[in-house]
Amino acid sequence: MRDVTSSTPDTARDVPAVRATALARSFDDVAAVRGIDLEVRAGEVLALVGLNGAGKSTLLRLLVGLLRPGRGSAELWGSSAWGAPAAVRSRVAFVGSGDAYGELTVRENLHTAARLHGCTPRGAAHRADELLASLALDRWAARPARTLSDGNRRRLALAAAFVHDADLLVLDEPTNALDPAGVIEVRERVLARAAQGAAVLVSSHHLDEMARVATSIAVVHDGLLVGELPPDGVDLERQFFRTVHAAAGNVTPAESEGPR
Amino acid sequence: MSPTFGAELLKLARSRVAHVATAVLVLAVPLLAVGFAAAAEHGGDSTLALKVRPMVPGHGWDAVTTTTGQVLTVAVLLAGGFVVSWVFGRELAQGTIEPLLTGRPSRAGIASAKLAVVTLWATAASVAAVAVALCLGLVLGTTAGSPWPGAARAVVGGVLAALLALPFGLVATWGRDALAGVGAVLGIVVVTQVVTVVGGGAWFPWAAPGLWLGMGGDGVVVSAWQLATAPLVAVAGWAATTWWWSRAELIGR
Repeated sequence: MRDVTSSTPDTARDVPAVRATALARSFDDVAAVRGIDLEVRAGEVLALVGLNGAGKSTLLRLLVGLLRPGRGSAELWGSSAWGAPAAVRSRVAFVGSGDAYGELTVRENLHTAARLHGCTPRGAAHRADELLASLALDRWAARPARTLSDGNRRRLALAAAFVHDADLLVLDEPTNALDPAGVIEVRERVLARAAQGAAVLVSSHHLDEMARVATSIAVVHDGLLVGELPPDGVDLERQFFRTVHAAAGNVTPAESEGPR
Repeated sequence: MSPTFGAELLKLARSRVAHVATAVLVLAVPLLAVGFAAAAEHGGDSTLALKVRPMVPGHGWDAVTTTTGQVLTVAVLLAGGFVVSWVFGRELAQGTIEPLLTGRPSRAGIASAKLAVVTLWATAASVAAVAVALCLGLVLGTTAGSPWPGAARAVVGGVLAALLALPFGLVATWGRDALAGVGAVLGIVVVTQVVTVVGGGAWFPWAAPGLWLGMGGDGVVVSAWQLATAPLVAVAGWAATTWWWSRAELIGR
């Protein structure tokens, strides 16, 4: 397991950046999240992996305050995530399924995002230019965002989340549609922010990629955390499916192995 | 300028919806209104002149500015309703709401900035539309009377119509799409017509500005109290919109 927490001050580690307690949420008669407990502290990178529809995106939206918990609680540094004050929200960067403003240019999107996260006009311009270069978006800087490819739209969404040095990164399938260079850039940024003391919560279907960045990997299935994978990257696919199948069959992973 | 207001202003300035709506208000409305006034005054016995003459009150500048005001109130309600519906509804329909809500600005502040930007745009468009109408009046050689009292009334009518369009942002939010607001705007125009025909228009906020500008003929008088229902609707709509944005789950599942 990587150790990225050594530089984090102890005082900052006392209160978890994210804490979910018996967190649950249903939509009509569909239980999307069914009582999840988790914590993510400064310097930790928690990866959530699971099948489509497992509840990962709903869980992340609950944890950043975009959805109201049905039961239990979601907290950011001890404050309720739903209705969190501006001082708390300003410490969070979220990349979900949201899109950029198609009518604005790529640079305007980044500049606007930076301004909305509290940067001065000059600081926002500087930050936008820096991210355009580092995420290989500078060729398209003056083009409306609606003209970008899916991959570059994803790059833009990620760049908008990195405009401020957030203390908590919440990334929902951040590498979807990205080319290998984009995947590497995201990985390096996540690792760098974690090394600087940021907490990171990331969901993905790419198990190998999660093993490269995570300090722990949790498996989500049917709205529950049903197990953990070793973040050493060994035999991940087999262990993932074993955990999911065990959860689906209501048997423990050990039982599901059975005689060979 | 606050970052939230600046962001909303930039989005509106870049939007095609706003471009088209601005062109309609600033070009089409004055051309139509001044054209009607000119046809009524100089058209003789032509078919067009005979048809528009009952709709055009007074002569000279009075005809130009009053007709402009009457057309403007309807056009601003429609155009403003479409624009405010887009400003709110696009965030939910196009998925831009997620990053917006996870930023530093408050939800109420975002909604207020949207409403303020639309009000500012509609006011500016109303002033520009009346200014273009005055220029066209000069080009056509209008001299009788003074343009200023009628011009001021036309601008006030446009601003009141803009205020009446603001609640449709909330409808677009509820419907999670700009088209929900657009549908409601069209519905209120139909209801306004019906209410006016049955004689209750002066107390119906969406009808009052047009009637105040003479759309109902000389026999219809609109009091200041009746006219004040328009800003009251705007205040109530503004409060309801910010309240809803503060408390509702605005993202999709």
